[in-house]
Amino acid sequence: MAMLRKRTIWVGVLAVVAAAVGLRFTLAQSDLPDWVAKGDDWPARKQQLQAYGERFKTSDELYQHLRDAAGGGQPLTWSQMGEPAYDWSGVYTRTGGGLEFDLDLAGRPPAKDFLTQVASGKASLATAQLTPAGQKIVQAKAKQLAATGGEYDPISDCRPPGVPRWLTEPFLKEYVVTPNQTWLMNEMVNDVRRVYTDGREHTPVEDAYPSWNGDTIGFWHEGVLVMHTRYLMQGQYQRGLQPDYSEQTTVVERWHKVDERTLQADVWVYDPVNLKAPWYTRQSWTRLTNDDKSLRLRYWDCRENANNLIDKKDDGTSEFKPFDFEKPSTGQGK
Amino acid sequence: MNKTRLSVCMMALAACVVAVPVMAHHSGAMFDATREVTLTGTVKEFQYTNPHSWLLVDVKGADGKVTTWGFEAEGPSTLGRAGIRRSDFAPGTPITIKGNPHRDGRPAATWASATRLSDKKEFNPRAGFAVR
Repeated sequence: MAMLRKRTIWVGVLAVVAAAVGLRFTLAQSDLPDWVAKGDDWPARKQQLQAYGERFKTSDELYQHLRDAAGGGQPLTWSQMGEPAYDWSGVYTRTGGGLEFDLDLAGRPPAKDFLTQVASGKASLATAQLTPAGQKIVQAKAKQLAATGGEYDPISDCRPPGVPRWLTEPFLKEYVVTPNQTWLMNEMVNDVRRVYTDGREHTPVEDAYPSWNGDTIGFWHEGVLVMHTRYLMQGQYQRGLQPDYSEQTTVVERWHKVDERTLQADVWVYDPVNLKAPWYTRQSWTRLTNDDKSLRLRYWDCRENANNLIDKKDDGTSEFKPFDFEKPSTGQGK
Repeated sequence: MNKTRLSVCMMALAACVVAVPVMAHHSGAMFDATREVTLTGTVKEFQYTNPHSWLLVDVKGADGKVTTWGFEAEGPSTLGRAGIRRSDFAPGTPITIKGNPHRDGRPAATWASATRLSDKKEFNPRAGFAVR
């Protein structure tokens, strides 16, 4: 009799746990945004996706919410790799080009007195909601550009751009999906982001250290790769008037193939130092025509050619080191 | 031997500050986007390198003195996307080339466009960023 009672209690507990998990899953699923392609209603959709990110105080919460909605995600198998959703082969580049972090701003010519406006805090070349500290940095960049007409970009010495700037670089990219890892490769400085999708969690904070591309984990759900990145180094979203990001930056990305030639990512950047609210952008890459297979990613190093070496000047701008147009470059196999 | 001629044309363009449209690994502010230089000479070397390629061109001045100019463009993959191969500019190839000159007067410029004189074929490195 006692044994039966015990069993009944256990069944009850399990039922409650299952119901709770199911409820969490259902709730998480029910409030997912409508992931639509860009169209006539894109500004309104974009606003919804921005608001969606703002519901969560941290990127960890957003990532966990998406993971719950996906029931934890589904492990991939090698037999799935040939399916269109997971075949990311080919050589890609950023759709639309431009160096703005928000692609929607690409190609917009700034007003004549734009630098002055930004320097005084009356205008911005970003859609980010900046903290006073983040705004101060952008204003200082505007003042620098207005005063000198130039700047020094830290990547001038071929250091990596780092995440999230990685997303904006306009050169070639290749992607490799495997069941347990996805590799996002940037031609520029031989830069590879590794996304671990084998169920592991992030490196424990006590053992973590900041790096250019941070530590990225992810899961797959119905052809979509959801990623979470933390432990990043500080940097800038791009040169010019794009904001800076801090070491406290974390990122949630939702990558998927939207058609045969297009990879798309919804990206929320969280940075309590520079951003008042997460910065949502939609990033996109187009597979290039490469019928003759001439487009290839090559090793990339500033030391290939001494004429590419750059110094930072005292006024904060950059300058080439002395040119040597007499000596053949070292990058020609000579 | 084709006669090389120096025709430097400095054009004052708009007075406003315009960024040199080079998506480089460095700021393009060392080049003067408000001026353009057009030179005719022969290719000395095509340094087909990352992150930037340099097309070195020997240009003979009115006094007969030859100056080597360097024209900076993007790396091999972006040039490839613009249809520019290393073999297009073998040493000795006569060309006319245009670009925005370096501000400090050194014989260097961005490479905006070039015409190979043997077949009048035009090469525009900046077309390499087109997505197609």
